[in-house]
Amino acid sequence: MQPKLKSRVKWADREVGEVTRVILDPLSRDVSHIVVGGNGVGTQERQIPVSAFQSVTGDTVHLRAASSQIGQFPAFQREAFVTIREVEIAHLEDHLDVEPGEVLVPVPELERDVKRRTFFTNLTHAIGALLALPLLYPVLRYVMKPMYAPFDNRWIKIGNVNKIKTEDVGVQFKFKKLVKEAFMPEAEVDKNVWILKASPPVLEQVYKGKDMEFRDSTGQVVWVNKRDFPYVVYSGKCPHLGCGYKWRKVPKLGREIFLCPCHLSIYDPSGKVLDGPAPRPLDPLPIRVAASGDIEIIDMEYKAGVKAQVRIV
Amino acid sequence: MNSQPSALEKIIAFVDERVGLKTIQAKMLNEPVPGGSRWAYVFGSCLLFIFIMQAVTGVLLMFYYVPSADHAYASTQYILHEVDYGWFILSYHFWGSSAMVVMVFAHMSQVFLWGAYKKPREMVWLIGLALFGLVMAFGFTGYLLPWDQRAYWATTVGVEIMDKTPVVGDFIARFLKGGPTPGQMTLSRFFVIHVMILPAALMGLAGLHLFLFRKAGPAGPFRGTPEELKAKTDYFFPRQVWKDIVAMGAVFVTICSLAFIEPVVLLEEATPDPGDYHPEPEWYFLFLFQMLRLKIFSGEFGQFVAGVAIPNAFLLFLAALPFIDRNPERNIFKRPIALVGWLIVMTGILVFTVSAIINREFLD
Repeated sequence: MQPKLKSRVKWADREVGEVTRVILDPLSRDVSHIVVGGNGVGTQERQIPVSAFQSVTGDTVHLRAASSQIGQFPAFQREAFVTIREVEIAHLEDHLDVEPGEVLVPVPELERDVKRRTFFTNLTHAIGALLALPLLYPVLRYVMKPMYAPFDNRWIKIGNVNKIKTEDVGVQFKFKKLVKEAFMPEAEVDKNVWILKASPPVLEQVYKGKDMEFRDSTGQVVWVNKRDFPYVVYSGKCPHLGCGYKWRKVPKLGREIFLCPCHLSIYDPSGKVLDGPAPRPLDPLPIRVAASGDIEIIDMEYKAGVKAQVRIV
Repeated sequence: MNSQPSALEKIIAFVDERVGLKTIQAKMLNEPVPGGSRWAYVFGSCLLFIFIMQAVTGVLLMFYYVPSADHAYASTQYILHEVDYGWFILSYHFWGSSAMVVMVFAHMSQVFLWGAYKKPREMVWLIGLALFGLVMAFGFTGYLLPWDQRAYWATTVGVEIMDKTPVVGDFIARFLKGGPTPGQMTLSRFFVIHVMILPAALMGLAGLHLFLFRKAGPAGPFRGTPEELKAKTDYFFPRQVWKDIVAMGAVFVTICSLAFIEPVVLLEEATPDPGDYHPEPEWYFLFLFQMLRLKIFSGEFGQFVAGVAIPNAFLLFLAALPFIDRNPERNIFKRPIALVGWLIVMTGILVFTVSAIINREFLD
């Protein structure tokens, strides 16, 4: 039992003084001392450790020492302490039992007959939810507005085949793509693709003997690349995680290949993955070449990092 | 002595009576630190300091920065080259973000090694993990804002990695990009996340973190008898506050020095054509970047494992840690699995980061 404030202090021989203060240990959070003052103690209050207690009953602290020994206990020095209001000690209240009984305030008159407090609490939450719920869908639609844009199937002129001198060598074609985003004025964006004048074996590897169909979001065929058409264009986006890859001579392999500097995926001229983490070959795009040699492509984009080709632009 | 209170004292008394300032101040400063103040306890305060400075410099940057695809780059260059001390404010903000990440690792390591995540501090640890996620999200979203090639490509790859999350990945990636490919909508979204959503979330959670920390009380050292701890115990103020201030000063001087020595230099303006640039994320994501290069993480499933499953499993493991490791023993030298585990994780991150840096040579 913890000693209480205002408790009487009974020494071995007689009763002297009362508990004027209680001192707590900040780490154990238990009462470590009481301060005894008042009747018979004199002007100097004394600090008495709990180890000197005989017992604590109700409103009396029993000490082992006789009242004549009071001078042996150290004098209480107020400046060596702060009140519990001025210090932050976790869970102090849980360990504290020194208040002289309960301290009460009355419940307001109007509240006394309210039996269904839980009901009203739940009702408050329900009304809150009812206010928020109708907003969910509009907010979702609001933020989703630009997320699923229709595919762009425009043909873009990107250069002339006379730039390509050698077979099976990747040639980069840079071009400007007009992009209209939301409220922004239509803007030119720099893009690039790689074009290969493929030799028959490479062409065979790319097309595997079949024409290549390109589809719209509805599944409708937009264009077909003929399997014997020698020019192959690859999307400039690495199928691994969407970086831009390069045509590079790799000393280790002794030949030129497509290399992505991000995660070091390597592709041969037919787009096949030779090494590195890429999940699928390079993505061929729709290509057509005019009689003048002008190249036109549809700049499709596929989701990176997945095995299947999933068109997103 | 003059017993009449001065005008200033009267004003202070007036405010104190209504606000209770003195009690609040006393409560803030009078927190017993079991076993006494230590340099090992400075990291949390340093994080708070770095965050405040990031908020201040961030607000200053917004005086000139325009979050639009056609002005972001130009306005950032304007801050760097035209605005008086703009280079310093921007470079401070840039290096401050790195300092934040370093300090988060230090803070988490300290808490881990001291066993301070254990009962009754599980919630402090959980909220701390959420804060760690926010700090990484700050780094990731802030990186795009200058709209140079570095920014564009780090974001492109980063979002593609999130795209690999099962079921919701595609939605998350499109939501962040504001479309199928990065562009104006991406910049707008990253901007609002970086300057509004994340700061609000961080302030709220950091407040909760501190509140829960104060509620549970500091853990103190992992060695020593109660008597020894009691003998050495002091209040948060002044000894710990002093150590914190010195550490904050050191952090401040370090960030300023880095801003002076290595001010921010932008690359070319962002375009979907990388040119000669070899995309790379900020250094604290390099280990993840390097991990994705490994052959064992190739293919669709491999990427999911390295990019999504491993990082998230690790975070989940950290979240579950206080509930798995219920042994009250806090001494790190008596927790061999914890010590070895920590060493392995740190070494792993270091090795992957260094090998990513070495790999740069191979590319040039």
